[in-house]
Order: sequence, then structure tokens, then C-alpha cells
Amino acid sequence: MGRSKAHYWFVGPAILLMLLLLIAPVVVAAALSMTDYSLGNSGFNWIGWENYEKLFTRRSYSKMFTASLTYVLLVVPISVALGLGSALLISSLRIGGELYKAIFFLPVMATLLAMAIVWEFALNPIVGVVNDILRSGCDKSVIYGFLSGSWLGYDPLESWYGSACEKKFPLWLGDRKYALGTIAFIGIWQAFGFNMVLYLAGLTSVPRELYQAAQMDGADSAWERFKLVTWPMLGPTHVFVITISSIRSFQVFDTVEALTEGGPSKSTYVMIYAMFEKGVRQNLLGMGSAITIVFLIFVLILTLVQVYFVNRKVHY
Amino acid sequence: MYIQTSWLGEFFKHSLLLAGAVVVLLPFYLMLSYSMKSPAEIETNTGGFFGAQQIMTDNRCVKVGNPEEDCLKRPIVYNYTAAFKEAPLVRYMLNGVFVTVSIFIIQVIIALPCAYALSKLRFWGRNVVFGMVIFCLLIPVHAIALPLYIMLAKVGLTNTYAALIVPWSISVFGIFLMRQFFMTVPDDLIDAARMDGMSEFSIVWQVMLPTAVPALLAFGIFSVVAHWNDYYWPRVVITGNKDLMTPPLGLRMFKSDMDGNEYGPMMAATTVIVLPLVIIFLLAQRRFIEGITMTGMK
Repeated sequence: MGRSKAHYWFVGPAILLMLLLLIAPVVVAAALSMTDYSLGNSGFNWIGWENYEKLFTRRSYSKMFTASLTYVLLVVPISVALGLGSALLISSLRIGGELYKAIFFLPVMATLLAMAIVWEFALNPIVGVVNDILRSGCDKSVIYGFLSGSWLGYDPLESWYGSACEKKFPLWLGDRKYALGTIAFIGIWQAFGFNMVLYLAGLTSVPRELYQAAQMDGADSAWERFKLVTWPMLGPTHVFVITISSIRSFQVFDTVEALTEGGPSKSTYVMIYAMFEKGVRQNLLGMGSAITIVFLIFVLILTLVQVYFVNRKVHY
Repeated sequence: MYIQTSWLGEFFKHSLLLAGAVVVLLPFYLMLSYSMKSPAEIETNTGGFFGAQQIMTDNRCVKVGNPEEDCLKRPIVYNYTAAFKEAPLVRYMLNGVFVTVSIFIIQVIIALPCAYALSKLRFWGRNVVFGMVIFCLLIPVHAIALPLYIMLAKVGLTNTYAALIVPWSISVFGIFLMRQFFMTVPDDLIDAARMDGMSEFSIVWQVMLPTAVPALLAFGIFSVVAHWNDYYWPRVVITGNKDLMTPPLGLRMFKSDMDGNEYGPMMAATTVIVLPLVIIFLLAQRRFIEGITMTGMK
């Protein structure tokens, strides 16, 4: 164009804000991660890699990595599988598909913090409905027999359900063996509807002729056609859904902060919560920044993996 | 689709999906139900969905010194009035509306001209700017929260509306989305406008803005939902000042101020905060699902 200088006014503010609010903070975090900076102190000392050394040697931080990775490894596969499963079921329905779609998408929309509080209440070991429902199955022989495995000839007391009926049902969020799993359950509850919608979009782009072609080639059962056509044709969707779910689950914060505060005994001490606790609560901004940088690297790796697969046009 | 539909198969699929729907809806059901029940009914899990709605005594009202006959209430009335009295819910909601709407408007004011320039104007450095946008797309918001918090604290802006709004004023995702959209707008439209003597500014706001309404709507849904539900950022920059709290943060405060057994009012407050978005969602499902998945990459 050249004849007008309008573009300065158009891109100028955006460039300025990008530098100030996105790029500068990353640089600041990288620099501060090498210091012992605290708000309110007049100065700070450069301490080199000390924060990172602590991060990779101290027990509480190894618990942090364990919690974050376990959470991701629980939420991603299950929410992706549920998303794909419900998308397949819904797309093959004659009627009612739209209704299920809206219901499963509801948790994606609803304020997670608020719903987490409701879940906490439902999971309350004394007045909560979850344990009430589980307990009510103990004296109904059909349910008891099925869930404790006594129908199949196993010793009911050996099973999880049978022994819980004998003794008591778990404290869920209050028990270090169950807390992270419970938080992950809420995460799955919230996320799988999102994956479902992405898979539904992916499914509509699979050409119908391929199914007929597969059938002619002798793929008679639905399962064979799924293996032959649907699964490979969903390649790009898989990559997208898996990376998005991983990045999102690395960022889990709301449920942890509101329900467990990282406990019991740091079993739910996930990265973003650790960052918040160190950086904001305890004012150890150097340490908080080091966690930030490690988190950033995790997310960048995931994104690069995604870009790599997308560029290879994954269609197996 | 490719699964042959028999009545048995259809029945089987519906039962699986129904079981899933029950688990998904359970907390919504509980939230609504508990917001209407008396403490006794909540404790013993009785009263069905609506509760018996038997007149109950409001203990707190009696403690303040009112005669007992003035403190008799239906549980549903008790729960909702207590929710609005204990917590400044109206204030929280207004804060939420103010913050989300401000963020969206500022994002559009910044992003739309930039997207227009990146897609329709040729100037030196255009690719560099676009490269910068792509690079910034890679930065997760959680990773810049701490340094932004320090920067805001340094200039004394924590515990202000500005702290809630300014960090979100730039949406690189919005720029990217709008640019992709403007690429599909024919150049003839802009040339015609220039021929009519329109300035570049009026082209952006009078020609491009109206054509971008579908994309803006999707982006708006994404932006408003994300910031209405956001808990992390308000938690970091607002400490203790209830006048500035957004709905999720206010609810969290309500929870920690609560003395253990006030589940009814608590669930009433939760209902008030969750319901507006849920109702709008149910009214405009398709647009919401499109908007959020289309913009799901962030």
C-alpha cells in the first residue's frame, strides 16, 4: 500500500501489548527464576541454578511432578476415550443425539469452581450422596454380588466393594490414596464433553463412501469398519484432542485450590498450585518463577509434538 | 452411521448414554435440590428433589434477638435469602458482568484493526508481526501469571478492576481468528470503500466490523465464558477486597467463611452463579458449542 500510514495505528497497540503483557513476562520469569526475589525486598541476589536444583532434588517437588504427571495420565486417556466413545454412540443414534450432546457439554460451560464445591459436598464421607448410594448397594444382593465379584465365585471380602461394605467407604478427598484420583474424576467429568464435540466434528468429515468401500472389501462387522476407516481417518482429531487435553490438565488449579489445597500430604500438589503457593502465598517469587519456566517447557514440548504430527498429516 | 441400527442396538446405546447422562447431571441435580432443602433434609438425604418445604426456624435470626414467630421460613426462602445476605452476590455478579464485558470490548478494539492490517494491508514487517502473533499463541496464560502479578504489584495495581481487565486486553487468539476470517473477505469490497473516499479507520469499523459479526460472536462466547468462569487470575490479584470479587472468587470466599453446616445457602449461591451461563447455553446451544470448539485451541 504505502500510501497510508494507517497500519501503524492498527498494529501498533497490539505489538505494544504483546511485548508488555506476553513476551516481557516470559523474560521476567526466566530472569527471576535465577534469583531469590521477594516482593517488598529492596533488592535480590542472583543465585544461578539453585532454584532449579531444589526443584529437581527436594522431595516436596518430586511429589509435585508425580501429582501433575499422574493427574495428566489419568485424565487424558480416560477423557479422550469417553469423548470418542460418546461421539461414536451419539453420531450413530436415530433420535436424541442433540440432547445427549447438550447434556455432556454442560460441564464444559459451567463454572468449574462452583461445580467442584458441589462435588465436594456430594463426596462428603458423612452426609454426601456418593457414599450413601454406594452403601445402599451393600444390602441388595444383586448389586452386592455384581460389584463384589461374588457372582463370579470370588471372595467378596477380597474385592474393593466387598471390603468397603464391611468396613467403610473412602473419605475421597480426605484420604491421600484417593484424593488425586477424586480430583482427576472431577477433571474427567468436566473435560470429556469438550473432547466429544471435537470428535463429533471429526466424524462428520469422514467420507461415507469409505464405509461402503470397506464393506465391499469384506469388512462386515462394525468393529472392523471402525478399525479400518474411522480410527485412521480421525488421525488429525486424535492429535488435536490429546494435546489440548494434556495442556489443559497440566493447568489444573481450581479444583485443587478449592478442595484439597495440595493435600493430604501433598498428594494433590500439582504444578500450577505449587506455583501459586510458592509465588503468591509465600512470596518466594524466584522459586515460583522456576516452576513457571518448567511448566512452560512442558507445554511447549506438547505443542511442538502436536505441530510435528499435524505437519506429518497423521493418517497412518 | 456405520453401525447397523437395530432396535436392540439402539436400546443398548441409549442405556449407555443415559447412564453417562445421570453421572454428568448428578451435581447439577444436587445443587438445585440442596438449594431448596432444609438443613435436616440435607443431612438425612430425605425430601426428594424439592424437599418437603416445611416451615423451619431460622436459628441465626433468633440468635440476633428476634421473636421466634418472626423467624419462621420455608427452606427455599431461607436458603436464597441467606445466600444474598451472607455474601454480596449481586455485587459479585455485577463485577463479573463488568469485567467480562470490558475485557471483550477492549480485546475487539485492539484485535480487529490489527487483524485487518495483517490480512488486507501490505506494509513492511507484516510477516514479522504475524510471526509474533503465532509465537504469542504458544504462551499459556498460567505461565505469565506470576510475572504479571509482580508487574502489577510494582505499579500498585493489585486489588483494582484494572488488574482484572488489563492483562487480558490483548488476545492474540482473537487477532489470529479475525485475520483468518478477513482473509476470506473479497478485496473488492475494500477497494470499493476506498473508492468512495472512506478512510482506513472507517473501513475497519464500518465495513469490516459488520462482516465479521459471525466470527466475533464465536470469539465473544469463548471470551465471556472463559473470563466469567476464570478463578485462577482473580485469585492471584484480588486479596480480601470483596468489592472487587468476581463470581467464582466470591463463591470461594463464601465457602471459607461458612461455618460448616450452611450447605443450603451455599448451594443457593452456587445456583445463582452457575445458572445464568447454563440458561444462555441451553437457549443457544449450537452457537455455544461451535464458538467454544472453534476457539478451543486456547
